[in-house]
Amino acid sequence: MLGIGILKGMVVTAKNFFGSFVNKRLLPTIQYPEAGNSVTLFSRNIPFLVYDNDEDPLGTMRCVACKICEKECPPQCIYIVMEKDANGKPAKRPKVFDIDISVCMGCQICVEVCPFESIKMDSTFELSTPDRFEGLLLKREHLLKSNTYFHKIHPDEAQEVDDRLAAKQKKPAPTPSTPAA
Amino acid sequence: MIITFSILSAIAVISALLAVRLRNLVHATLTLMAFFVALAGLFILLMAEFLAAVQILVYVGAVGILILFAIMLTQQVTGNVKEHIEAHGALWGLAGATAVLLTLLLPAILKTALPLQPVVETIDPSVRALGLNLMAPYTIALQVIALLLTAALLGAVVIAISPEKSEEEKKS
Amino acid sequence: MTPINPDQLIVQLTQWALSFLDSYPLVAVLVAILLSTVPLIAVFPGCFAITTWLERKGLARIQNRIGPNRTGPLGILQPAADGIKMLLKEDIVPKTSDRLAHFLAPVVLMVPAFTILSVLPFNRNMIPAAVDTGVILFFALGSVSTLAVFMAGWSSRNKYSLLGGMRAIAQMVSYELPLVLSGVTVIMMTGSLDTTKIVAQQQLSEWIQSSNAGLQCLGQIIGWNVFTPWGFAGFLIFFVASLAEINRCPFDLPEADSEIVAGHLTEYSGFKYALFFMSEYVSAFAINGLSTTLFLGGWSGPNIRPPWSDDPNALLIPGFVWFFAKMFALMLVMIWIRGTLPRLRVDHLMGFAWKFLLPLAIMNIFVGGFYYYAPRWHGIPVVGWPIGFLVMYLSYECIGRLNRGPKTAQRVYHYAS
Ligand code: SF4
Ligand code: SF4
Repeated sequence: MLGIGILKGMVVTAKNFFGSFVNKRLLPTIQYPEAGNSVTLFSRNIPFLVYDNDEDPLGTMRCVACKICEKECPPQCIYIVMEKDANGKPAKRPKVFDIDISVCMGCQICVEVCPFESIKMDSTFELSTPDRFEGLLLKREHLLKSNTYFHKIHPDEAQEVDDRLAAKQKKPAPTPSTPAA
Repeated sequence: MIITFSILSAIAVISALLAVRLRNLVHATLTLMAFFVALAGLFILLMAEFLAAVQILVYVGAVGILILFAIMLTQQVTGNVKEHIEAHGALWGLAGATAVLLTLLLPAILKTALPLQPVVETIDPSVRALGLNLMAPYTIALQVIALLLTAALLGAVVIAISPEKSEEEKKS
Repeated sequence: MTPINPDQLIVQLTQWALSFLDSYPLVAVLVAILLSTVPLIAVFPGCFAITTWLERKGLARIQNRIGPNRTGPLGILQPAADGIKMLLKEDIVPKTSDRLAHFLAPVVLMVPAFTILSVLPFNRNMIPAAVDTGVILFFALGSVSTLAVFMAGWSSRNKYSLLGGMRAIAQMVSYELPLVLSGVTVIMMTGSLDTTKIVAQQQLSEWIQSSNAGLQCLGQIIGWNVFTPWGFAGFLIFFVASLAEINRCPFDLPEADSEIVAGHLTEYSGFKYALFFMSEYVSAFAINGLSTTLFLGGWSGPNIRPPWSDDPNALLIPGFVWFFAKMFALMLVMIWIRGTLPRLRVDHLMGFAWKFLLPLAIMNIFVGGFYYYAPRWHGIPVVGWPIGFLVMYLSYECIGRLNRGPKTAQRVYHYAS
């Protein structure tokens, strides 16, 4: 019959209307500041630096300041200066590690290229600040987050990374030659 | 009563004059509609509500809108016509209007004894009376008008359809 | 002192108040005018506010959102916030606009919108202007709104406005025909243009005046025009045409924001915009009130005589409660439709009015005539009802099928599957 389509459409909207009062799935709104946020397991936005020991962030950070990520970052938003010890020898540790998150586009390329599993994607998003320049330039101290935190936000991925690192430690010998081959 | 009458007729006369004199076509039409509305008010004063309603329905709601539509479909959409339309023979026009007035209205005016007494009892301007009149003594006139309008409607349909037809014929 | 009758309480109060002014006829007339107009001007903007809130909430729920909930409990103060925002906004008039027409347009829209409310009978003896040509007056004044929309569109000197105005004229003039013609059937059956008589005709007075409460209830409902074949079809045609007449979804082409910004409202801001907005809703109420009056029995509804009263016409629940309930129900259906149907295309819009609604409405008039003269059995239209229904249904199907365009080939999507 003519007009049945309209009636069907009306039924659909009516279902949505009444369903939204009883069915959580039909009212997915989360009232953000009051009712928490809606960060899912798969959410990624800016990178952070991983360290292993909760007591000693600076001592156990994984980054060796190899600057691969700095070179690969498409919008060039990473800035790294390697730390030098007293007699000028490189300390395999970044002295400065800045990410300008106003430029970072969350592409995750830095994570892909890092050979030391030291930079990972974060899922925090409450990053607004009244200071447009300094406030959006995250320093090493802001970026350092523990492996425990990593486990908390992305458990599967963190477990995978841990397993990989453990396997690597068991047979450390051929690692340096692999990239060349 | 008198006050309302004078206000309404003043509005009617002024807007009628403006409708004739204004250069901007849309303005002229709008004032023409104001005239129609004032006329409807006069009808209400004469207790002819139905006539007033029909006046607004037909003249403001249909005829006026149609005029506006016609203006919109012409080139000068904004209504600011720059070129002047020179009125030749304004005198003749005036003479014609006066002649019509004299032949049609004057006899009627002369026949009635002024000042008039209220005639509510003798004239029944209700819808029912109107309908009965249209159905009984004026049936022929009604039918003729209906026929005329139907013919006009059909003509409009034919005019609207024909160009499309010819295009299709060309294609085939 | 007449016994208290809840149904007529307001009417009795008014009469009682006016009785003090008997010695000053001129003042009494003025007060009477005020008493019948001020409530209209007070009640309907209130209804408008509630409806905007209902609309926001309803649409939100239909779209799986919550809707306004920050202003007051459940966002009920949202209309007030809107109003304050509107009033505080700067009133911007385009430099090249036609100032007078631009200023007059909202007024020309507003005045008829409120005036037509006055021919609606809200209750027994509660009609602001009892004229015996109520329905035709309603349609006449309602047609003036076309003019206002055109004035708004033309005077803004903005091509979007002008397009909106043009669309509005074309649409309103076309849809006025099915609207009036479906109303004509009711007028024909009642034999009166008087809205109070139309309502009275839809009540079975013998049943209402009987002593059985159930019969009293039923007598207020069974006679509604919508329960007859011509009334049902007429109601549907009237409702659809009224949607177009007041530019509501899915016929809101004059203000189609995806195509022509906001149509005739593009150049309006602040208070004038608020006036437009309000008049639109008030005319929506008015037209819903008229369809309530014509087809849904006006102020009659399930109702019984109060036990303490022996006046056969007394009612327990005031009639205006039912009237407003029905009006709001129709309004909610309009909101529901707005949440469901997408906007029509211009040529479809015109075709729908001229090729579908108009023939149906004309058919409906014939069916109404047949129903009126068809033989009855104990007053029950045993012949008229089924045959009328069948004819209406068949003509609906036939006209619908005739209107089907040529079958188009199944559309092939190359990238989306
Ligand atoms: S984060 Fe990874 S790639 Fe970047 S400097 Fe540190 S170790 Fe190298
Ligand atoms: S996520 Fe992309 S843009 Fe951001 S720092 Fe890493 S490589 Fe640069």
